[in-house]
Amino acid sequence: MAKTAQIDVKDNDLLGALRDLFRAVLAQDAIQAILVPRRLPMKNGVMPTLITDPEQLDGADPLAPAFPINGAKVVSRLTRKASGGKVAAVMRPCEIRAFIELVKLNQGRTEDLVIIGVDCLGAYRNTDYTRWVGDDMDEATRKFVTGVLGGGGGAADGVDLAPACQVCEQPVPRGADIAVGLFGMDTDKRVLLEALTPAGEALSEGLRYKKADPPLPRRKEIDRLVAERTAARDTMFAETHEATDSLEKLTGYLANCVNCYNCRVACPVCYCRECVFVTDVFDHEPVQYLRWADQKGLIKMPTDTVFYHITRLAHMSTACVGCGQCSNACPNDIPVMELFRSIAHRTQLGFEYEAGRSLEEKPPLSEFREEEYPEVVGI
Amino acid sequence: MNRKIGRALVVGGGISGIRAALDLAETGYGVTLIDHSPHIGGILSQLDVQFPTNHCGMCKMLPLVERDAASQFCLRKGLFHENIDILLNTDVSAVDGEPGNFTVSLREKPTWVDPRLCVGCGVCEEVCPVDVPDAFNEGLSTRKAIYLPVPHNIPNAYVIDLPSCTHCGECERVCPTDAIRLQADRRKEFRILVVDDEQIVRDSLKAWLEDEDFSVDTAESGPAALEKLAGTTVHLMLTDIKMPGMDGVELLKAAREVAPDLCVLMMTAYATVETAVEAMKIGAEDYLVKPFDPEQMIPKVVTVYEHLEAGKTRQLDVGAIVFCGGTDYFHPADEKNVYGYNTHPGVMTSLEFERVLSGTGPSGGRLVRPHDGKPVEKIAWLQCVGSRDVQSNADFCSSICCMVAIKEAMLARERGNGRTETAIFYMDMRTFGKPFQRYRDQAEKTHGVRFERGRVHSVHPAGESGDPLIRYVRLDGSTHDERFDLVILAVGQRPSKGTREIAELTDIPLNTWGFVQTDPFLPARTDKPGLVVGGSYSGLKDISESVICASAASLEASRVIHAAGGSLAVESPPEPEMRDVSREHPKVLAALCTCSGRYAQRLDVEGIADRLERDPCVDQVLTLNQCCTTAGWEQLAEAAKEANPNRILIGACHPYLFIEQLRELARHIHLDAALMDVVDIMSPVISAGSRLKDNSEGPDESPVRSLQTSALEMALSRLRHLNPVPAPTVDVTRRALVIGGGIAGMHGALAIADHGYPVDLVEQDDRLGGNLHWLSRTIDGQSTRPLLEETVQQIEKHPHIDVHLGSRVADAFGEVGQFHTTLETGDGEVNTVSHGAVLLATGGTEAPASEYGYGTSEAIVTQMELESRITENAFDPTAVASVVMIQCVGSREEPRNYCSRVCCPTSLKQMLYLKQANPDIAIYVLYRDMMACGFTESYFTEARRQGVMFIQYSPEEKPDVHLLQSDDYPVEVSAFDPVLGRPVEIGADLLVLATGVVPRLPENLARFYGAGIDTDGFFDEAESKWRPVDSLKEGVFACGLALSPRSIPDSIATAGAAAQRCLRILSHERMKTGKVVSAVRHSLCSLCERCIETCPYNARSLPADLGRVAVNPAMCQGCGECASVCPNSASVVHGFSDPQMFDVIDAALESAL
Repeated sequence: MAKTAQIDVKDNDLLGALRDLFRAVLAQDAIQAILVPRRLPMKNGVMPTLITDPEQLDGADPLAPAFPINGAKVVSRLTRKASGGKVAAVMRPCEIRAFIELVKLNQGRTEDLVIIGVDCLGAYRNTDYTRWVGDDMDEATRKFVTGVLGGGGGAADGVDLAPACQVCEQPVPRGADIAVGLFGMDTDKRVLLEALTPAGEALSEGLRYKKADPPLPRRKEIDRLVAERTAARDTMFAETHEATDSLEKLTGYLANCVNCYNCRVACPVCYCRECVFVTDVFDHEPVQYLRWADQKGLIKMPTDTVFYHITRLAHMSTACVGCGQCSNACPNDIPVMELFRSIAHRTQLGFEYEAGRSLEEKPPLSEFREEEYPEVVGI
Repeated sequence: MNRKIGRALVVGGGISGIRAALDLAETGYGVTLIDHSPHIGGILSQLDVQFPTNHCGMCKMLPLVERDAASQFCLRKGLFHENIDILLNTDVSAVDGEPGNFTVSLREKPTWVDPRLCVGCGVCEEVCPVDVPDAFNEGLSTRKAIYLPVPHNIPNAYVIDLPSCTHCGECERVCPTDAIRLQADRRKEFRILVVDDEQIVRDSLKAWLEDEDFSVDTAESGPAALEKLAGTTVHLMLTDIKMPGMDGVELLKAAREVAPDLCVLMMTAYATVETAVEAMKIGAEDYLVKPFDPEQMIPKVVTVYEHLEAGKTRQLDVGAIVFCGGTDYFHPADEKNVYGYNTHPGVMTSLEFERVLSGTGPSGGRLVRPHDGKPVEKIAWLQCVGSRDVQSNADFCSSICCMVAIKEAMLARERGNGRTETAIFYMDMRTFGKPFQRYRDQAEKTHGVRFERGRVHSVHPAGESGDPLIRYVRLDGSTHDERFDLVILAVGQRPSKGTREIAELTDIPLNTWGFVQTDPFLPARTDKPGLVVGGSYSGLKDISESVICASAASLEASRVIHAAGGSLAVESPPEPEMRDVSREHPKVLAALCTCSGRYAQRLDVEGIADRLERDPCVDQVLTLNQCCTTAGWEQLAEAAKEANPNRILIGACHPYLFIEQLRELARHIHLDAALMDVVDIMSPVISAGSRLKDNSEGPDESPVRSLQTSALEMALSRLRHLNPVPAPTVDVTRRALVIGGGIAGMHGALAIADHGYPVDLVEQDDRLGGNLHWLSRTIDGQSTRPLLEETVQQIEKHPHIDVHLGSRVADAFGEVGQFHTTLETGDGEVNTVSHGAVLLATGGTEAPASEYGYGTSEAIVTQMELESRITENAFDPTAVASVVMIQCVGSREEPRNYCSRVCCPTSLKQMLYLKQANPDIAIYVLYRDMMACGFTESYFTEARRQGVMFIQYSPEEKPDVHLLQSDDYPVEVSAFDPVLGRPVEIGADLLVLATGVVPRLPENLARFYGAGIDTDGFFDEAESKWRPVDSLKEGVFACGLALSPRSIPDSIATAGAAAQRCLRILSHERMKTGKVVSAVRHSLCSLCERCIETCPYNARSLPADLGRVAVNPAMCQGCGECASVCPNSASVVHGFSDPQMFDVIDAALESAL
């Protein structure tokens, strides 16, 4: 079988075709369960759901612009140790990239996992999605998909894609085992299925879809989208830099932080069992607060807010995949993603590293290069 | 720490002296380390970086076992070890006794500055009127008569250079701490008698010496002098040698009968220098050469005066003496016009250039010419200046200069951002060490250093610029002129000053060139048992070899002390019980020294005390009048006893001088010394004092006080959070495993077993001896047969050695202190041994030959085959007329790009043997660079003298070998002769291929023990210079050919060194590690294993059965890399907790705000 095949869409029902695909996957002997974004039974929301009963796939909705959590964390929980069965996980590209980082940090394994990637159409902010979706969720998803693929961006009913999605230049799932291609396809009639790894090939062989080459417009459409997003991203970098290029400005940028630590809970690559900021390390002696206050005549409480973000940047910016969940989680609307992506871009360039690019590349701190940064180390 | 019986004296505090002292101290001996100069570090204090790393790294020599016994900072700055006493400005003046029980007299030169009081403020230096060339900068800058011997010592006390001091007394007047006590001038009472038959000599000497305030009397003849000696007290006699009637030597003999203690200086014309040297053997102190230059003569007399005045000697009982006197360097000024040195300012020595490159050098490391400040754009190095030169009595190769020149050239290129042109003019580029050839290739190919083979004829000033112009001759005979900005003379080594005196004191013989003569096979031993030699004292070594020899010497010293009853195996006295304060709230006793009110205006003790008292942890603040005095210290001890604090903070000066006192106090009040800290609060006061001199407006106290309080509060923060855990210990199986029964393995086994520890010696062959079975003689004519037989006999007789012949290591696991190895015999018999350390002596063999027609003719042999034929008397030298030797066969080029070091000496040995057996034999050597390093050079000279033809070839144009059908010769070798400038064809009866050495270190064996293997299959040392026989994994060592190619004596030296490294471990029943080791807070750990990946010492693992990260404290060196990669501080280093560091930083910043 060729590495690319086509999935026919019947009756203009794209979601239906994808649900059929998931059912076919679940029907494979090797696959014990499938993890897929699915509508919640009692509320109009979408959450990653581990499904073993094929009928439950009727509610699967991987195209909804809902992104309540980065699924990498969930997949890490499922694969940290051997589970005795193989799981297929339907993931967005940024979820796959985050998961690759977690595997490198021994927080997940790829052995019992097949990753099904889907071209990412983006998502709304959590709050936007809940407000926007309404009761007819099928119609909402359909409207969104048509809007995005029809070239109208994400703005259905005047709701914008989340800021992270607006500047995402990696909407195609590179690290998946099999990938569903939507961009540049006539999605009313067919979508593309690509096997990207030997495991993916084995799986798609069993699915028996008709072999087909990707249509020519697909590459062009992806290039156009990436170029557009990259330009938006660079504008965002410039604006963020302008807003944070001194300690005073950075302090202002982060001024609304209340140390709720939601951003690191939401961050898929913040893998510590317990963040250092909630350990005894930051359990300052009461006398210390007085001393600090004494030095300048005042001290803002809570302390260590800027320190917290800088530390998290130091720890995580080489692993940041830009999924934007940090901003999504901030109760005070601090543009955390913009800051992290800007810094991450530079640190990753500095180490010739790209978070989530490959399982083979060691994280920068795990690798020793003798001739590195001579201007910094001074030798 | 175990107190062992036995003390050793180490003479010389250079790198080898430090190594030897540390080795002995780590095995538990007391060590007295003395140095003639006012600082330790020797030549290395002047060198910033070393080849082949182009870094320093001296600190890697600091103890790894019981680390806390020693200071843990830059070793160039100083060394503190609880078992080592360091005496500077000290010489040996007499040695008596026998091995195991020597009495040594030590003479200490006064420096007139009390190092306990000197705070290094430098006020004295500012007022000193004397300027003399600064020896530290090789004379490229000047210093004062009162000076810092090196800029970086801790603590750094000034010393006075007595011969150049004018006694003006200015320094004594301004010294704020009264550290300087110029001795009352007693020159008037010092009586000198000048004896010479020439009136003019008597008069002028009298005038000069009286100008120096001495009392001078004269006599015109021997008898007249004796008369004066009988009548009055004379302290020093200067006598002419050639006098009518009684000559100087006779006078000397007669005078010593009248006055046995009289000090005599001989005065001699150049022609009778030899007589003067003879006179020194019968008691003359020194000699002066006529005609006199008062500039040189007066200091000599003054030195004698100071010596006699000082005269302070102390006696020391030691079991053994390790001489690590190092070497001196050839000084071109001593010779006649060496390449314009001294007459042309653009010509300097390689040592001087090291100073130019140094950040503490005359130009602060900027690459400019010292004499005119002109940026240096083009530099030439001239090799072999004072080496390989029969005319300057140096028929030896100094072994280090090639590498030094390459290093300097690379540094110069780097410093000049690659624009500096560098050229090295050389005869042979002797890159004989394991990594040296690649280093040279890197210099040439990556860094663009130019290598120019040829001999430099002369250096002249060029035209108007006056820059040095080099005229040199290439191999093809063509002459070239080239202008340079600087010409560096790569000066060779010479016996260290004072070697002759030591030889006379101890009867240790010297070799032809004045270096110490050591045993032909045991380079650390002299023919005087108990007097051993380390480092380059016996000649011509680089750092790595010096360090190996130093460790080998400390092993020999230890052997002697052990044999004399100074056992290593003594039980340790119980450690004093320390209070467990981990559950108490910090309660700090702070003590502030007022220095007797000396700085009352600038030292606001009360203000500081107020600040400290505000801290809730501080129980009380005590002021001490002078805590460096006994009374002051007792006051503190009393208070500590009474208040029962659990932390003590002292503000005084010289923190490092309190180490021993703190330990004493700790034992006294049962509080761990780690919970006490001394902070220097005086330096800010004193340096403010020197700044204030120009500022008449009066002192501004606040910055001084804030510096003091912040230093104190930093220490307070550190102490507050400190929770001292006792240093973890590791059980040691006091038994060693030696793998490989060649000469190195056997010597290693003997060395360990001689200390009473059982050894398992494993050999895969069915007999011991390895390569010694096919070797018969060394290049210096020593038969190796007795060495083999005696060593095997010793092994077989030894009660502590179990030999496992025909055995191999089937499997092994474990860590330092506890290794378990499964041995398997050929019959499959299995035997498991436990041991605390392992020595890999798996050896090496001759590399296989595949080039130059090898295997196609009986006439083409390898060196080993020839040697075997000679050993077995199966070779008749008279039956051959022509022999060709090809060097570097498959060697010194990728993939075997290293020099095997033994092949050139082997060729020389074989050609001299052939020539001796058949003088008519024609021998041709095709070589790239003759690696006749060290004293081997003399055999190279001898071979050329005997008519051996040496033809140089380049790897791009290798010789060709054809088999001939004719009757004349079986083989023909053709090559290009660069001297003749044309191809040559040589017919040969015998073609000998020098293929070099390959190691035999099985990969799985190395893996069992966690040892690294380098690209060429040799054992990968932890550090080629500073830890040359260690693996990065503690407890695993290597010696002999498994380590690197080397000769028999060099292999034995590594065996001694490696055995010594094992003894450090085996001498402990339970090995104490350092307090600063890492640990895991398991409840926080996410098991990401980054710490395991990053640990350079393999100290961390995730054992499957444990399911959590484990740290081996004996392997952990406390470097903290694991803590820095761990994002949530689940990985921590004891003694450096996050809250503590935050507090310290806060305290430091508090004063900055």
